[in-house]
Amino acid sequence: MSPVVAARALMGISLGFHIIYSTIGIGLPLLLMIAEWRSLKTGDELYHELARRWIRTAGVLFAIGAVSGTILSFELGFLWPRFMVFSGPIIGLAFSMEGFAFFIEAIFLALYIYGAQKLSRWVQFFCTIPITVASAASGVIVISANAWMNTPAGFTIANGILVDVHPLQAFANPAWAHEAVHGTLAAYVATGFAIAGVSASALLRGRDREANKLALTLSLAVASVCLPLMLISGDWAATTLAVQQKPKLAAMEALFTTTRGAPLVIAGWPDPASGKVLYGIEIPRMLSFLAHRDLDAIVEGLDAFPPGNSPDPRIVHPFFDLMVGSSFIMIGAAAWFWWLRWRCREVPQGKWLLRTLLFASPFGMIALESGWLVTEFGRQPWIAQGHMRVADGVTTQTGIGLVLFIFLIVYLALTAGLLWLLLRPPSAGTGMETKQEVPHVGT
Amino acid sequence: MWALENLAGGAVLLGLVMYAVFGGADFGGGIWTALASGPRAAEQRESLFHAIGPVWETNHVWLIFVVVTLFTCFPKGFGALFTVLLVPLVIALIGINFRGAAFAFRHFGGQTGRHIPFMAEVFTISSILTPFAMGVAVTASVTGRIVLVDGQAKAEPWFWLSPFTLLGGVIGMGICAYLAPIYMTVRTDGELQGDFRVRGIIAGLALGILTAVEIPVAMMEVPLFAGRLLAHPVVYVVVLAAIFGIATQILLWKLRFFCAQICAAGTVSLTLAGFVAAIYPDFLVGQLTLAGAAAPHVTLIAYFAILAVGTINLVPSLLLLYRTFGGESDAELS
Repeated sequence: MSPVVAARALMGISLGFHIIYSTIGIGLPLLLMIAEWRSLKTGDELYHELARRWIRTAGVLFAIGAVSGTILSFELGFLWPRFMVFSGPIIGLAFSMEGFAFFIEAIFLALYIYGAQKLSRWVQFFCTIPITVASAASGVIVISANAWMNTPAGFTIANGILVDVHPLQAFANPAWAHEAVHGTLAAYVATGFAIAGVSASALLRGRDREANKLALTLSLAVASVCLPLMLISGDWAATTLAVQQKPKLAAMEALFTTTRGAPLVIAGWPDPASGKVLYGIEIPRMLSFLAHRDLDAIVEGLDAFPPGNSPDPRIVHPFFDLMVGSSFIMIGAAAWFWWLRWRCREVPQGKWLLRTLLFASPFGMIALESGWLVTEFGRQPWIAQGHMRVADGVTTQTGIGLVLFIFLIVYLALTAGLLWLLLRPPSAGTGMETKQEVPHVGT
Repeated sequence: MWALENLAGGAVLLGLVMYAVFGGADFGGGIWTALASGPRAAEQRESLFHAIGPVWETNHVWLIFVVVTLFTCFPKGFGALFTVLLVPLVIALIGINFRGAAFAFRHFGGQTGRHIPFMAEVFTISSILTPFAMGVAVTASVTGRIVLVDGQAKAEPWFWLSPFTLLGGVIGMGICAYLAPIYMTVRTDGELQGDFRVRGIIAGLALGILTAVEIPVAMMEVPLFAGRLLAHPVVYVVVLAAIFGIATQILLWKLRFFCAQICAAGTVSLTLAGFVAAIYPDFLVGQLTLAGAAAPHVTLIAYFAILAVGTINLVPSLLLLYRTFGGESDAELS
């Protein structure tokens, strides 16, 4: 295995793994905050119990997120040292800020989790505010580094040396705003649907109805507020890409040739040999409209870029469709829930609705992971668009294939441990759970 | 002296010291979990386990702080170190992961050490392995055997294995094993406190001997570094570290636990400060100066702005954390 392939595989697996934990690390604090707030406001203890019940998950996932994030910071060094020599002085600043956000998150999460018996309920609620803010901030900040790789800004290179660095310009690079908004909303949607799935599954088995009804409503409320905003921010991202990252857009939409009045191709398999999309569904002139708000606008296809400088649509277009498709699955499931909720004036508990919600629950995470793959595969062959190729950023050290193999085992072990932990029922007497499970009579 | 790159080097040292003084003690907790002995072995393990719980993640962030500071402020040096130290860093990283995961699984699995022997094993083994690998990596970075050819770092494949670095690894473990029981004397009482006092004194002796032996080894193996370590003014830091170490032993002997705790942290801080000061004015001893490894000045200025704002937020939060959980942290889980 070539060092570049091994390094990319390892970085990809590590990020794909870390994204799951960091997403829940961003989404769950918001739910905790709302639950604690509602509990204080309405005096309904069930909200507080719900929050304490989520703590076990929050605690484990945050711990795994912390250590898997450490893997990433090390990997930047031992997989991509040449890229970091180039970009460290620029994107390192975003990581430095994220580090402080991470401190705040860790400190207040510890206070919230372990301080149940030392801190008053109001203080516990106040602890959830910095956790929510810092976790969202850490995501927004670190996305700046990723956006910089897509649209590098704020520096000049003279004779191979970095000069004239403008930290603020680099931080607020062109792709940052839409990536940050889209990514943060995605974290809330993904967490909302994940929790909704857990609650739906418990309701299907008739367990603990009151608490799970509440959890279902709360998590779907958060997700449903964010879903339409996702579509709007997605549209913003697409129109921005049409100006800033044309090769990525062409690969996402599998547009091989520059076209006036370009069609939108849904699904299908892009075939570079023939320059056509096989089995795709075409909506005439729609891509031109979506990208430039003009049915007759010219959209650059992959042929507009020199060979070897644009991404492979076969690994970008399907993930883009998967991302968009996932969001429609979630919108459908959420709409059905709220329709029944409005009709019955009660949390609906029909079997088929709950099964649908259970089915839809992983799609937030699937959408998020595919969106990330789109942005990464869509930047190839560049590690910093237009400035450094992936192959020029990789380490000169040998044996990366072996390191990949070792970390595969590490990740398998961590995943196995997590599944073992989260899938078995919590044991009693730990002090970490709600005081006493109140027996709820099914309604 | 007050050049930006030197101050950035100071920030790296600060992160290292914080990681050693706080995070190191958490690893030490794992080491003493493995070495728990006597009639109260189970209580020793339990109290260590509960003391680590609320703080280890926060303490762990100092490592990320160090890594991030390195690649932001010294990208060339960072690139070189992480290229040639691949193996010990990977070992440390695996240890970090299994330690954190095993701890979290044990904790939130709702059972303590006795019940999940496998998780407990993983936790202790990785608590021993990680500081060892880190000690090896940190000491290997000053051997002067990392050379730069056209900006690319090169070194012999196993250059990081030598008596000097292996002893460095053992000192890494020693630092962790030294801090944990001394911190525990403040958090326990009665016979358990006595147990930790004795362990602290023993670990203090061991660490003193190890660091003393490392000096002649360094003179043989890494003369450039050793020369700087023993020259004015770094040698005063070394002497001060020794004085603090001896003072800690006396304080432990006299049962002045609170002062002993602070003095022990001082010993470790000064040991690290002496070590880092002996690297100065280089980043890679004999190969790359701090100034040569440093990022452009604009970056360093921006970094210090972030550091200032971050510190304003961090310090009160940290004080709140340690105030809340500094005392008897057993309460929540019993």
